[in-house]
Amino acid sequence: MINTFRVNLAFSSFLLLLSFGAYAQAQKLQEEKELEVVNFKSIKKVLEKDGLSQAAEQKKVQVAVMKKEQVNLDQGRYNYPSEDELWGFMSEYWLVKNAQILGWDFEKPDYGLESSFRSTLQTLGFVQKKFKILLVNTPTLVRASLPGNDGEMILLLSVPFIRSLDLSKLEISLMFLEDYFRLEAGYFKNQVASEKMKKLAGTSFYGQKPDLTMVEELMKNYHKQIYEKGFTFQQQFEVTKKMDSFLKSNPELWNVYFRLLGKLQSFLKVNVQYKDYLKLFPSPEMQLKWISPEDKVL
Amino acid sequence: MQYLFLLFSLLSFAETTSTDEKVVGVFYMKPLFGHVHQTSVGTSPSLTTIQCAHPVKVLESSKVSVSAEWAYVQVADYRGFILKDYLSERKPDCFQGKYPKFFDTLNLDLQELYYWGRLYDQYIQGESRVQ
Repeated sequence: MINTFRVNLAFSSFLLLLSFGAYAQAQKLQEEKELEVVNFKSIKKVLEKDGLSQAAEQKKVQVAVMKKEQVNLDQGRYNYPSEDELWGFMSEYWLVKNAQILGWDFEKPDYGLESSFRSTLQTLGFVQKKFKILLVNTPTLVRASLPGNDGEMILLLSVPFIRSLDLSKLEISLMFLEDYFRLEAGYFKNQVASEKMKKLAGTSFYGQKPDLTMVEELMKNYHKQIYEKGFTFQQQFEVTKKMDSFLKSNPELWNVYFRLLGKLQSFLKVNVQYKDYLKLFPSPEMQLKWISPEDKVL
Repeated sequence: MQYLFLLFSLLSFAETTSTDEKVVGVFYMKPLFGHVHQTSVGTSPSLTTIQCAHPVKVLESSKVSVSAEWAYVQVADYRGFILKDYLSERKPDCFQGKYPKFFDTLNLDLQELYYWGRLYDQYIQGESRVQ
């Protein structure tokens, strides 16, 4: 009886030990499995072989670049225009703001100015010059040339002035050529540009309010330049001499220019309505002297 | 019976002529602002003002004859005319698109938008070329 009991006890102990052993074995295998899953080292070779780790790295770099681009794009929306773009925009803004005073929105006859000025430029060798002509219906602004977009020029001319002087399209084209030379010499930009504009153009105002006093300042300077300041004798001399040297190769055009200056001189002397013209564009009388051939003493 | 047949054929003819309009393509406005005109004349009244990069449906219709310089277009519910020079096949790089925040702060009013469009109607534009 006792022996039977001992055998049973030994057997059950053996079974208990066996089951503990099996339990421990199963626990270890599970951990090993988990380890295999999370242990990158064990699959690194596989990933490297498939190029997956490289792809993951590339994706990280791509995301970083895209994030940076997005930030730049968002900040770029808060940029002031570059100086070049600002000039074209400001010129048109000034024209829009002064639409009623200038009276440019009116019906007018086709003077054939596009083909005439284009052909004058081409004859003198000026190619790929873009221009916009805007005729104004007021005697208060006789002529002006404003900087446009991408090196374009905006040429303004008064229709009452054209009629009063009975200007031909060739004479008008030569007036435009003078205006083009003034613009090209940078007189307008130099006299109108403000320190603030130079400082702010092309920069960002991200995180702050834009400084619109720059725009107000420019508008005032446009007005001053066009209606009050005009051009100096020195600038007029340079432009007239340039006209002289370019037109000399074409005597027909030179003669038209010479006659035009004479016409302007005699008209402006007696016509008080255009007295400001002489202040802004001094002076046809001097211009005539500057280009008149010297008297030869025999 | 003959009258009925005539009326029926007239009605069907009217239907075909009113639907002969077809879309040539979608183009985009190039200038900063521009007008859709009532007729193909620069000084004709404006139906609506649109801004740069606004999509414009160019139409073709046997009932509408236009000169080579103008395009017959549809913008929203308006059918009118725009100078072909002011339309682009590709979306242009517009000032207000490049500098939206600066442009918005100018707070242009309706009158200014109208005049800006008119400015492009009144410009006489040209470019000198190699002869």
